[in-house]
Amino acid sequence: MKIGILSKRTGFFTEKLKDYFENKGHNVKVYTKENLCINKTLLENDLYVMKSKDQIPFVYAGYYAEVNGIPVIPNTEISYKHKNRLEAHLLIKNAGLLSPPYYYGTIESLKNNLKDKDFPLILKPINSSGSVGIKIINSINEIDEICAEANEILYLENFINGTHYIVYFIGTEICTLEKVPLENEHSEMTKVDTSEDIKTLIFKWKSKYNLLFGHLDIVKETDSGTLYIVDSGTFPQFVNWKCEGDPVSKIANLILKKYEDLKSKL
Amino acid sequence: MVKIGIITDKFHLEHKISEFLKYLKTKAKVTIYIEESHILNNYNLKFEEDLFFVKGKGKIIIALARLIENETRIPVINSPRAILLTMNRFLNSTLLQKAGIKIPDFSFIPYRYSPPFEDFIVKNIIDQKKYKFRPIIKKNNGHITVFDERAINEVDSEKENYRYFYYQKFIKSKWEYKVYGFGEDLFFYKQIPILVNPNKMETRKRIDEIEELKEISLKAMKIIDLKAASLDFLKSKSGEYFLTDVNSLPNFNYIENGPKKFADFLISQAKK
Repeated sequence: MKIGILSKRTGFFTEKLKDYFENKGHNVKVYTKENLCINKTLLENDLYVMKSKDQIPFVYAGYYAEVNGIPVIPNTEISYKHKNRLEAHLLIKNAGLLSPPYYYGTIESLKNNLKDKDFPLILKPINSSGSVGIKIINSINEIDEICAEANEILYLENFINGTHYIVYFIGTEICTLEKVPLENEHSEMTKVDTSEDIKTLIFKWKSKYNLLFGHLDIVKETDSGTLYIVDSGTFPQFVNWKCEGDPVSKIANLILKKYEDLKSKL
Repeated sequence: MVKIGIITDKFHLEHKISEFLKYLKTKAKVTIYIEESHILNNYNLKFEEDLFFVKGKGKIIIALARLIENETRIPVINSPRAILLTMNRFLNSTLLQKAGIKIPDFSFIPYRYSPPFEDFIVKNIIDQKKYKFRPIIKKNNGHITVFDERAINEVDSEKENYRYFYYQKFIKSKWEYKVYGFGEDLFFYKQIPILVNPNKMETRKRIDEIEELKEISLKAMKIIDLKAASLDFLKSKSGEYFLTDVNSLPNFNYIENGPKKFADFLISQAKK
């Protein structure tokens, strides 16, 4: 089978995934922003793996492949919606789960409408997951300090005071790690037992969107014990997978099995 | 009285919809949401409108429309999906071509790659901002190449994290055909192509309905989920119509009694 991997990078998880597929006898090509041409040449592959979710070019490529009948795993729409924070909130809400309140507006309108009691807030880039570009804003005055252009549009999210977790899931396996608030996937984390409420949340999320693997960043609020999803991802690097087995082979096998299932339905 | 919400920005409010609003306010209770002063909050979503009309393509405009669509049963014209598809040329080209609508061949490739066609036009990738089409035209050995200045700016911009060009094969045509659609009501015009005469209104004239264009326009609007649209066509030497552009924000001021016709159309679409 010919497999295309849509990825920002050729190393790390992508390289391992490529090696695994090739060892299974498949032909694999990695498409990055340097070599990805979206036209009929893409139709030569049987399957695409959407490792990276930048709208241009990866979501475009996934969309092109799917419209032309080539499966993309994880699928293009769910990948796009995970990447866009506003869409991710809707995914969370539509799954019957909770996300923190957010505000989205121009700097001027935010300054005119927010009150001191609304802070602290977390500034997050609208189209990203993880912790890149994330900053805490403690007061209205700080908004001006961090933003150069007055007509810029900002996404600000309520800071939930509680215990922060990153929860990986691959198939039915869940791996929960406690982390320092706002740190990224690559920071040091401590593996903890997965509580029943987190397990229930993960299975609800997985089954609602038919996900094979992924991760959620979850905060358990200190006062109420309520779980909030603060970030979601369809394809993390799994660098902190501290549970049993190798995530690369598990994920590769899930993708191959999903492809066979899809093919048998055609 | 029917309640209509208008989601727009200062530019459209000041320059594009004043006559429309003047008429609409005699027929409906109108609330205006302006991008520059509105804050979205996912826990504050109470709307009493019977319909929302989206006049703009800004990020907050689309996000508000998307929230309303997800949280209520209030009709939104045009839907956020339709706006996003029309804004992203590559996506609507892909969808329309697959549905069998004739559009010029296209390719989406890194900007350093050689052009895939001998005669082509490079268009901007995301048609979201308000500045206008400014073509850079070159003719060489019987071939024509056109670059939209916005496409070059997109590639050069440090704000964008992509370096791509959207190529569309160039179709030589004596006339450019424009179809406005409000639901199933279509209005047909033709003009000298904008690359020949940039003042499009100077040569624009109303024409009789062309059955083929009607069929393609209604099909394209249905595929993209557009209730209001303007569609551009070119006619090749062999007589085939090619759909070259789809716009979710038709300028109804260009149609005779357009603001009134469009307002009446919107009211007819309101939640019953």
